[in-house]
Amino acid sequence: MDEQAGPGVFFSNNHPGAGAAKGLGPLAEAAAVSDGAAAAGAARAQYSLPGILHFLQHEWARFEVERAQWEVERAELQAQIAFLQGERKGQENLKKDLVRRIKMLEYALKQERAKYHKLKYGTELNQGDMKPPSYDSDEGNETEVQPQQNSQLMWKQGRQLLRQYLQEVGYTDTILDVKSKRVRALLGFSSDVTDREDDKNQDSVINGTDAEVKETAMIGKSELTDSASVLDNFKFLENAAADFSDEDEDEDVDGREKSVIDTSTIVRKKALPDTSEDRDTKEALKEFDFLVASEEGDSESRSAGDGTDWEKEDQCLVPEAWNVDQGVITKLKEQYKKERKGKKGVKRPNRSKLQDMLANLRDVDELPSLQPSVGSPSRPSSSRLPEHEINRADEVEALTFPPSSGKSFIMGADEALESELGLGELAGLTVANEADSLAYDIANNKDALRKTWNPKFTLRSHFDGIRALAFHPIEPVLITASEDHTLKMWNLQKTAPAKKSTSLDVEPIYTFRAHKGPVLCVVMSSNGEQCYSGGTDGLIQGWNTTNPNIDPYDSYDPSVLRGPLVGHTDAVWGLAYSAAHHRLLSCSADGTLRVWNTAEVAPALSVFSDNQELGIPASVDLVSSDPSHMVASFSKGYTSIFNMETQQRILTLESNLDATTNSSCQINRVISHPTLPISITAHEDRHIKFYDNNTGKLIHSMVAHLEAVTSLAVDPNGLYLMSGSHDCSIRLWNLESKTCIQEFTAHRKKFEESIHDVAFHPSKCYIASAGADALAKVFV
Amino acid sequence: MVMAEGAAVLRRNRPGTKVQDFYNWPDESFDEMDSTLAVQQYIQQNIRADCCNTDKILEPPEGQEEGVWKYEHLRQFCLELNGLAVKFQRECHPDTSHKTPKECPAIHYTRHTLDGAACLLNSNKHFLSRVSIKESSVAKLGSVCHRIYRIFSHIFDEYENETFLCHRFTKFVMKYNLMSKDNLIVPILGEEVQNSVSGESEA
Repeated sequence: MDEQAGPGVFFSNNHPGAGAAKGLGPLAEAAAVSDGAAAAGAARAQYSLPGILHFLQHEWARFEVERAQWEVERAELQAQIAFLQGERKGQENLKKDLVRRIKMLEYALKQERAKYHKLKYGTELNQGDMKPPSYDSDEGNETEVQPQQNSQLMWKQGRQLLRQYLQEVGYTDTILDVKSKRVRALLGFSSDVTDREDDKNQDSVINGTDAEVKETAMIGKSELTDSASVLDNFKFLENAAADFSDEDEDEDVDGREKSVIDTSTIVRKKALPDTSEDRDTKEALKEFDFLVASEEGDSESRSAGDGTDWEKEDQCLVPEAWNVDQGVITKLKEQYKKERKGKKGVKRPNRSKLQDMLANLRDVDELPSLQPSVGSPSRPSSSRLPEHEINRADEVEALTFPPSSGKSFIMGADEALESELGLGELAGLTVANEADSLAYDIANNKDALRKTWNPKFTLRSHFDGIRALAFHPIEPVLITASEDHTLKMWNLQKTAPAKKSTSLDVEPIYTFRAHKGPVLCVVMSSNGEQCYSGGTDGLIQGWNTTNPNIDPYDSYDPSVLRGPLVGHTDAVWGLAYSAAHHRLLSCSADGTLRVWNTAEVAPALSVFSDNQELGIPASVDLVSSDPSHMVASFSKGYTSIFNMETQQRILTLESNLDATTNSSCQINRVISHPTLPISITAHEDRHIKFYDNNTGKLIHSMVAHLEAVTSLAVDPNGLYLMSGSHDCSIRLWNLESKTCIQEFTAHRKKFEESIHDVAFHPSKCYIASAGADALAKVFV
Repeated sequence: MVMAEGAAVLRRNRPGTKVQDFYNWPDESFDEMDSTLAVQQYIQQNIRADCCNTDKILEPPEGQEEGVWKYEHLRQFCLELNGLAVKFQRECHPDTSHKTPKECPAIHYTRHTLDGAACLLNSNKHFLSRVSIKESSVAKLGSVCHRIYRIFSHIFDEYENETFLCHRFTKFVMKYNLMSKDNLIVPILGEEVQNSVSGESEA
């Protein structure tokens, strides 16, 4: 402060004086004067040129320092800005990538849908097929605001042209009535669930159209364009309509498809000879190309969007308005067709009328575009939600809806993609597949069995390969028999939450311990109260199956064990339960087949040994069509039917064996069809063979797998066959056509064994497979 | 059953195979095994070859990750202990301590422990893959070992001579330091055990 005051004092003192030299004088004087004055004054008076210079330099240096500091600060802030901008860009890119990913997944979804539809119906589902090519190109544009605005503009133009053509076609009162009815129907359908805003929106659109139509109807009757060109346009619209209507009304899918197919064929025929298109028509057609492409883009983005999506709201409302128009168009088209027959030689309206139309349409179109900007983000999406839910009630399209479900779809797809399962499990890719097949089943009402199966549960608890499994006849309970000497009972309704995989984990509710070696086979009695298991110790253990709701850590109850059926001297490989007689059949590596009475623990009722001319029995089953017969297959490749009462061999089923290696003719499993007199055998040489029980003739033989077929099961209705093989795959076959309808890859190999057993649930929709990797899998 | 001449060996126990013919195929060296369950296959193969040769059984092949090796061994122990539990169930005689087999604490304990071990060793959370084990899960192996060891401490009899199970288990536990030596209370006959361990307390 003193210093600052100093120069002022100095200068003011200097002012009357002149020159630097003189400055010193008055300074000295001032100094002398102020010396006599106060101490502050003394400090002030001591000015010297060097002092001042020093002061100035000091100040300047300070300023420089401060400036440098400011520069540094500014640089820092700029760096921060740049960093944040970069971050923001990164987030945007991330967002773009995710959206792209969503679209790709959707694309895959649509493809799969098409495939499945083709598989089911043999016809192409028009739904997705048109979209992919343009979709991919659209994807390149990414869902930025601009392309969408462009497309929106194109829609407007398209709709304008559409309106123009409508009025060209010419409205009659009947058409108007029909149209308004249709509109009301559609509106009524959608207005139950859509927002008021949407209603108003659509209403306004409709009203606009109506008003317009009335206007234009006055203007003039149809000056129809070249019939073909207009028809072309309608076809484009029809196709676009089919896209939307597909998504809207599943019930109408078939009908629309056919109509689309029809019209598309007509279009192609028409388009070729149509050389007389004038410039206007061509332009119009081009516009419709954009329209179609943009619609496709729209529908893709629509279905890809989360609820929180931004521009998509715009689009969602426009297509809704479109829906209405499409309905109108179809009606008009039909009407037009009729009229076309009557009329010929029509002219296009001149450009001025076009311009008028455009102006009119533009007014109308502004309304829908306003609405989304007015409406909050959540509402259009929510309005979309219920409408689509009802529209696609059957297709669980989790994509379009709340972000959480969208994410879960992505997660689900990711997990499914990452899972080990192979081609057949692409069904797992789509969350919707179950519901899809349900929808088709309901629609077709064919059979109780679902057509596509998906993995649901993985049963982990055994320490070694699972050799056999059996379902409880009524409850959703499964018993597995394993080489780790135990049997385990599982309740499929008691699942443990699993974090990672799509299939749920189940824990066993009871472990049966009594065998002294690997347990090889298991069957349940017809009421599910008992089960029987056979193992390498040659014993058949009978068990009282515990209550499925038992606590797994309850105290040990020895009454669970009924007691062993003793008799076999070697491993018991096969068991079959006869409900009619309460008997149990068993086959063993000691070469005998035995029949037991299950009511008591006693030696076998009868023993078949047949002197082992047929070999060692590997598998046995009851003949369903004749309860006193049983069928058994032998290691030498023969299969025979025996009469249990007379203990005679009735029939040896035909088999052509060559005298080469032994093991290639091994038959691993024989089962009897539940309703028809057919026996089915699974062979080590990869075949499955069908025999007639009455004649013994081979009905059919097919190579079923890449490796030995180990197990067979027929569904309770007798329509499907399931086969498991050491090639790690399970296949489902349609028994009538003997074609494979689904394949699963499941279970890993231990040594060269993979799948040991497969089974259907007798009354519920479960199928299960037992693997050498100590896992059992259940599919629904 | 090995096929005749020239064809590949198929290691399968097909239906109809006699017990004595089980696993009737030539041994495979560890490197040749290309299945994901190779470790289990290898261990079981060695046990079948000679169940007394605990050293060979416990010796991991070259390059084998230790965590997986321990895990698969534990699984095998639980598997074999099932047999023990069965025997136990069968031969449990009423003592002074309990009247009926239902009350037998040893049976309880054995069953619960084995079921619990099965649950843990197969749980998705800890042991998702049988080919690689995460570090945190390896720690669980120690607790499983403790529990299993207590099964041994409940019973120890001539079953051992058939399978050398306790013997092998003790060696296994010591080799991989899964339990502290003070907990090893079952008297093991082997001299090697006493040699390698100093001051092991005996029951």
